[in-house]
Amino acid sequence: MLPMKPIFLTLAAALSVSSAAPDGKQLFTTNCSACHMLDQMVVGPSLAEIRSLYDGKADEFVKWSIAPQKKRPGAIEMPSMVHVGEEGLRAIYAHVMEVSKGVVAKKQEKGDPFAASPTRTVRPQVQRIFMPNASPASIALALDDTNSLCWDAGTCRLRYAWTGGFIDGFPYWQGNGSSLAKITGTVKYTEVASPFGKGAAVKFLGYNVKGGLPTFRYKVGEQMVTEAYSPVSEGEGFVRSFAVVTKAPLVLDFPAESGAAITTDKGKLEGGKLTLTPAEAAAFILTFSLK
Amino acid sequence: MKTSAFLAWITLTAASFGWTEYFTFENVAPPAGIDPQVGAMDRMPDGRLAVAFHRGEVMFFDPADGSWKLFATGLQEPLGMLAEADGSVLVMQRAELTRLKDTDGDGSADEYETVFDDFGMSGNYHEFAYGPARDSEGNLYIVLGIASNGAPMAPEIRGEFSEVGEVDRVGMSDLASWGKNKGKAGRMYARVKWRGWVLKLSPDGKKMEPYASGFRSPNGIGFDAKGRLLITDNQGDWRPTSPLYDVRKGGFYGHPASLVWKGGWNGGDPRLMDVAKLDAMQVPAAGFFTQGELANSPTWPVIVPKDAFPGGMAGQTLIGEMNQPNLVRVLDDEVDGVFQTALVPMFDGSPLGPGNNRMIFGNDGSMYVGKTALSWPGGKGITRIKWNGKPFASLDKIKALPRGFALRFSQPLDAATIKSLSVKRHTYDYHQAYGAPKKDERVLEVKGADLSSDGMTLTLDLGALQEKHLHLIDMTGLLGKNGGKILGNKAWYHVVKAPE
Repeated sequence: MLPMKPIFLTLAAALSVSSAAPDGKQLFTTNCSACHMLDQMVVGPSLAEIRSLYDGKADEFVKWSIAPQKKRPGAIEMPSMVHVGEEGLRAIYAHVMEVSKGVVAKKQEKGDPFAASPTRTVRPQVQRIFMPNASPASIALALDDTNSLCWDAGTCRLRYAWTGGFIDGFPYWQGNGSSLAKITGTVKYTEVASPFGKGAAVKFLGYNVKGGLPTFRYKVGEQMVTEAYSPVSEGEGFVRSFAVVTKAPLVLDFPAESGAAITTDKGKLEGGKLTLTPAEAAAFILTFSLK
Repeated sequence: MKTSAFLAWITLTAASFGWTEYFTFENVAPPAGIDPQVGAMDRMPDGRLAVAFHRGEVMFFDPADGSWKLFATGLQEPLGMLAEADGSVLVMQRAELTRLKDTDGDGSADEYETVFDDFGMSGNYHEFAYGPARDSEGNLYIVLGIASNGAPMAPEIRGEFSEVGEVDRVGMSDLASWGKNKGKAGRMYARVKWRGWVLKLSPDGKKMEPYASGFRSPNGIGFDAKGRLLITDNQGDWRPTSPLYDVRKGGFYGHPASLVWKGGWNGGDPRLMDVAKLDAMQVPAAGFFTQGELANSPTWPVIVPKDAFPGGMAGQTLIGEMNQPNLVRVLDDEVDGVFQTALVPMFDGSPLGPGNNRMIFGNDGSMYVGKTALSWPGGKGITRIKWNGKPFASLDKIKALPRGFALRFSQPLDAATIKSLSVKRHTYDYHQAYGAPKKDERVLEVKGADLSSDGMTLTLDLGALQEKHLHLIDMTGLLGKNGGKILGNKAWYHVVKAPE
């Protein structure tokens, strides 16, 4: 084969320091071995698989190594190996082809190895993770084995509730967070906006946990709000215990088409509007029954 | 008789040439059922170690009996931690700085207090959040990683969106068109607030001051023994190789994406600015980790306490590393008030392995190294490293001189081996492309090598040092007077300022 032209002039200059032939094994150890194992995929594909892709295709191997792209879902994009230089990459290629001769790649294990771990199966459970259809500052909450919901610390409001299970966080946890958690079950209730109204500025203050159940603390405008969650005693749904410090009567908005039958222990709930005196607002409980 | 005794001596010294002769490396048994990727560690006032794991558990490890106890759960990607005097724990997670408190005294956290969350989140996976580091006045410093064009933004974001950039808000979240848009988005982008910035928080977290800009993926922040705020960053776009910075208020540290959040910014898309102009704005790195040789992805700094490691290392900074199976030791120097460093491998060729994300010293002087990977090259679990008290030869100090360097060693050198020492230097181009090859690499002639009368200070005459160049002093062939090799036998000194 005719020698290819150097890809970058700076590389040619760098190579002039040492005129010895590059050591493919050494270069592989320094630049590649952290991600590529002989017979199994770790960060990147195994040498056995690379052999099946590039056997007899040294030029393509060099091209890829200089300008790699994202190719495999769930895997990271390989960084460019331009600093190794073309001659070095060819030496690495020769080394990879040599050591992978006759090697068969092992099959990858699938699924979450920690799915049955007590910290994952315990109920109730609070877990911050990237969730679908919510802000990136979301919190997933399992009330019990059946009822779960997504509370959004970015917008300080309940986003939706589902039944049938909790989340599969493995798509997120198996990598660097480039995938969302998956909801296990069916979304039965969606709150399209904050019951306190759309425009008000919110500030998240954190949450307390008792018996695994959270009480969220936040401000809506100047109003201090705490919102505690617990499971319903029977069937599907959830209970929200609010405490709102307000000087004026409080009106909360729960649009009727939301998917839940709502009852309150205080105030007046009519046409999806809950009206409370300041005294009632100081402590009231809403029960959401899902169909 | 004499011959066999001599042979035995040869065998012993041959075996004593590595780290394992002076340090033990053992794996700490991880807690059951926990993904053992370590995101953060600190030492509690009672001597237990607080460890935060990838899936958000915070656990206490008791070095006395090796037990683990669950303290908190459910955090998202904790990557920094500070134990507080009252037993509470500050943790930096993706969305906020959180204080974990055990208010009822049952041993587990029942309050998750949001200390600070006034920064943007685009939903992009690469927006990691790091810190806090605490200064002598109690102020807290956090640093926010920027997004990668390996993925778009989420449809819903937290905080304000910057319109400065070629791709608009809709395009930045359009997964179907991302292949077309990603090139124009920038390799790494900061379209939500304070990404790429160091933020200084008042001790109670209520006041925030944007402190410094220009960061990319700064997986290491902490104060050194002299009160300098050190931050490491990762090789990539605008990062020819991974840098170490001495961060000062108002500084710009090289990655332009964050500049869109600079007060009154009207320079347009910083990615498209004149590179020479950006270069003139940036504060030079105090140190460079050579890619593929010393470190590809440096991590957290930790200060070596007195008596934990050999005396010359007390008060020095160690930095972790993800890809290369070693840590990095920082030898600091100052020229005309400019802090600059030589970076030296530590535990290279030892059983340590890669993935060295967080380090903390226990009360008994053991160092605990917590590992992670997050699908990148790395490791998992915790390795405990303990020095056995035996001295060995190492480079303890380095000082730039008008014509070379003075090197101070921990033990007298074998003068006959000095001629084996070699020095090279190179520089890098600053540019948008991902990483950069070495530029203008050349071997320097060692014109003179003067060993002090105690045999411990070696002064090299190399001619005038060149600024903005990384000088590699290769001590591979150098031996101590007792025949031992130098442990950590390469030093990369970044000359920011050359002495006159």
